[in-house]
Amino acid sequence: MWKTTARRMTIMVPQIVLLSILVFLLAKAMPGDALTGLLDPSIDPAALDEQRERLGLNNPWYVQYWDWAVKALHGDFGQSFRFKMPVSDLIGQRMTNTVWLSLLTLALTYLIAIPLGIISGRYHDTWADRAITGYTYLGFAAPLFIFALILLWVFGFHLGWFPTEGSVAPGTASGSLAYVMSKIYHILLPALSMALITTVTTVQYLRSEIIDTKQKDFIITARAKGASESRVYNRHILRNSLLPIAAFFGYEITGLIGGTVFIESIFSYPGMGQLFLSSISLRDFSVVTALVLLYGAASILGALLSDTILSFVDPRIRIK
Amino acid sequence: MPLLEVQDLKVHFPVRGGIFNRKLRSIKAVDGIRLAIEQGRTYGLVGESGSGKTTTGRAIIGLHPITSGTVLFEGQPIFGDGLRGHAGFRKDIQMIFQDPYSSLNPKKRVLDIVAEPLRNFEKLSAREEKRRVEQLLEQVGLSPETIHKYPHQFSGGQRQRIGIARAIALKPKLIIADEPVSALDVSVQAQVLNFLQEIQERLQLTYLFISHDLGIIRHMCDHIGIMYKGRYVEQGTTADIFENPQHIYTKRLITAIPDMDPSKRERLRQFRLAVKTEYEQAYDRYFDADGLAYPLRPVSATHLAALPEERG
Amino acid sequence: MEQAYANNPAPPAAPVTPPQDAEKSPSGWKILWREIVRDKLALASLIFLGAVILSVYGVSLVLDQEQIVTVDLFALNKPPSAKFWLGTDYGGRDVFGQLIIGTRNSLSIGILVTLLTGLIGILIGLVSGYFGGLIDNVFMRFVDFFMILPTLMVVIAFVTAVPNYGIVSFSLIMTAFLWMGIARLIRSKALQERELEYVQASRTVGSSHLKIMFAQVLPNLSSIIIVTMTLNLAANIGLESGLSFLGFGFPESTPSLGTLVSYATNPQTLEFRWWIWLPASILILILMLCINNVGQALKRATDARQRKG
Repeated sequence: MWKTTARRMTIMVPQIVLLSILVFLLAKAMPGDALTGLLDPSIDPAALDEQRERLGLNNPWYVQYWDWAVKALHGDFGQSFRFKMPVSDLIGQRMTNTVWLSLLTLALTYLIAIPLGIISGRYHDTWADRAITGYTYLGFAAPLFIFALILLWVFGFHLGWFPTEGSVAPGTASGSLAYVMSKIYHILLPALSMALITTVTTVQYLRSEIIDTKQKDFIITARAKGASESRVYNRHILRNSLLPIAAFFGYEITGLIGGTVFIESIFSYPGMGQLFLSSISLRDFSVVTALVLLYGAASILGALLSDTILSFVDPRIRIK
Repeated sequence: MPLLEVQDLKVHFPVRGGIFNRKLRSIKAVDGIRLAIEQGRTYGLVGESGSGKTTTGRAIIGLHPITSGTVLFEGQPIFGDGLRGHAGFRKDIQMIFQDPYSSLNPKKRVLDIVAEPLRNFEKLSAREEKRRVEQLLEQVGLSPETIHKYPHQFSGGQRQRIGIARAIALKPKLIIADEPVSALDVSVQAQVLNFLQEIQERLQLTYLFISHDLGIIRHMCDHIGIMYKGRYVEQGTTADIFENPQHIYTKRLITAIPDMDPSKRERLRQFRLAVKTEYEQAYDRYFDADGLAYPLRPVSATHLAALPEERG
Repeated sequence: MEQAYANNPAPPAAPVTPPQDAEKSPSGWKILWREIVRDKLALASLIFLGAVILSVYGVSLVLDQEQIVTVDLFALNKPPSAKFWLGTDYGGRDVFGQLIIGTRNSLSIGILVTLLTGLIGILIGLVSGYFGGLIDNVFMRFVDFFMILPTLMVVIAFVTAVPNYGIVSFSLIMTAFLWMGIARLIRSKALQERELEYVQASRTVGSSHLKIMFAQVLPNLSSIIIVTMTLNLAANIGLESGLSFLGFGFPESTPSLGTLVSYATNPQTLEFRWWIWLPASILILILMLCINNVGQALKRATDARQRKG
């Protein structure tokens, strides 16, 4: 067991290093540098060059990379030129919003998937199963951004049940109960629209897993022994089908990352995804690099977590 | 000069593992095999599964890299990776595979399957190629009209004939037959075996015949080598092995052959019991500390056996 | 022993013809086609897709693209009318015309990216799975690395970083980060395939590795490739329209379906001018549903247990 994990960790280190190099070079390749934004005809080009030299922007890329990586390891991703504050502080502010959004989405994903998957698998080929399968077909095909947009249009604008932008009503005092309620109110529709789409693969997986398990010999044996139907499901089938699903949440992180970018943009929700889009439009590259690196690290860790849990649950997939 | 001579052939497979996937140890699938086949003869390689007989055959034709040792064909060495060696060897040594189902590509028509070797070595026009394939199919007893069919439209025995047609397409001198009938029904086995003998005479073929079935080996072969855990335990003419088996492992294999004649049944049973007792008592004498066979010692001019020192 | 064989009849001298009733399983293509015809939903989807493709490419030949993307200040945000079937956008441009051209552009790039990713994925997967060992190890570490990249972000960053950005560079960027899934799939299938004796048989009759990979192994993977590419097509159209929606896809002068949807980022448009963004959204949804329906039916066809008949 520990071997699998240790091996995964040794693969992970070069992955993160490679990712950081890629991200760094990407930022370097983007038009302009940190000082272009300050370009102002009144500034003497010579002074600008001097500042470039001082910031190390004229060094070879690997020297710059090394400086950047060492600082990044200490949590220092430089300054945001747009917001005039350290990138780490800026991301810290936005991160809470995104983390809450992701957590709620994840929770909703499982809350929807488990009952639907169980109903669909246990009573398969009934009208309920057909309805659920129809929903998974639709959810599998529908792009997240269109689904979210339509939900916002219907429930946010037309019916007015949910707020249409932001993460909290303006003017609510931080820390008060009203503030918390307002936050929950704002997060609900974005999280729900993402969960309704991301959940379908889990529903499908759970359904086919239950249908497969139903016909296995050990279930037939359990029935033959006279175990009641609910006991067969609770003790035998669900235990086998639910564990792998529980372990999937690490893999879901990768999907959530892409999803939050769309969701935050559509619901004008001030999280990391929205920050990423605005930073890239404003060429605020220190923020962009930090965010891509962070997202990459998150999906690496998520996959590692899921792999590790799965190798505990299912010995077949262990790396030999 | 023998057509094929194998000297001290070793094929070892690395076993990898650990965090960095290093080579931990190696499996000695074939560990020092020596054999020679005369032109026009059939040499049988016998052993239980995992004894290395298939690996030996595949190493000779170049499907497995050789760890050490040499393979001489018509006195010329075939280098490590025989497949990339001299094109002549490629044409002269062919193989018949065990599984008539997986050895024919399910997406190819019979024409494409049988013509594959021709396309690699002979530049034929489409018409000539078709004629050659039809001739080959006729040679193996299949209707030439079947060239546009797919493998799944044939029975196991017919499929094995297609495999044979492919193997003889280049007019090879040596054919390695790796358990060519073990996947077939018993009734079809005899047909295919007799047919193999028939084309051997007609095309003057030499066979290296690999099987776990001593009955088939006795029917087919002039010389026999018996393998156990990658080594030879005994080697000799068919008469040597069946009339005068020396090694306890060979004796056990021979007593395991069922006989059709009921009058001999009781005698055979006695013999089997005697060999079993000897096997149990004398196992340690016939195998070394690792359970492997000793080096071969001559019993007669044609007969070698892996006997312990004191008996040599 | 000898007798046992001698007693068996010698092979008949006359050529054996295979029995007429030998189980005839149809070829791969026939199975795929039959599954689609049996599945009414998939058949309807396929017909609809065919109709959309024909009409979109047909009509866009007739349409004056210049005129459609030209700003008309006298017809801003007009609701649907006889002149503008689906109204006009904030620049007074005909939405219906943009919808036709957008669908054409989205489909074209979706197909292009699917083919390119398929090509790269098949090449890498086949080589990796066929040779195994060290080559496989190196390729798969490479794939692993690409898999952990936050694809959407990296694509957006590349789109911004590339000078002379255009349709070609856009499809190349998308391709660069989307080939891994199919590569992994093909690799695992090729790993199974190379253990089959027909591969060794091809080697013993002197075929080169290259020939065996492409002429022998690849045809056996064709149905799985068709299925994956179909499902990928839907995903790629979704991703392209998503990127265009965020403003990192096609330039506005070449509208895609996503570009039309992106007008909805303006709350005014979203709330009051449904004719601009809703038709494009629904069209994307239907296109993806149809392609997925076809893909799922094909997928069932490759899995004998799930076939409808």
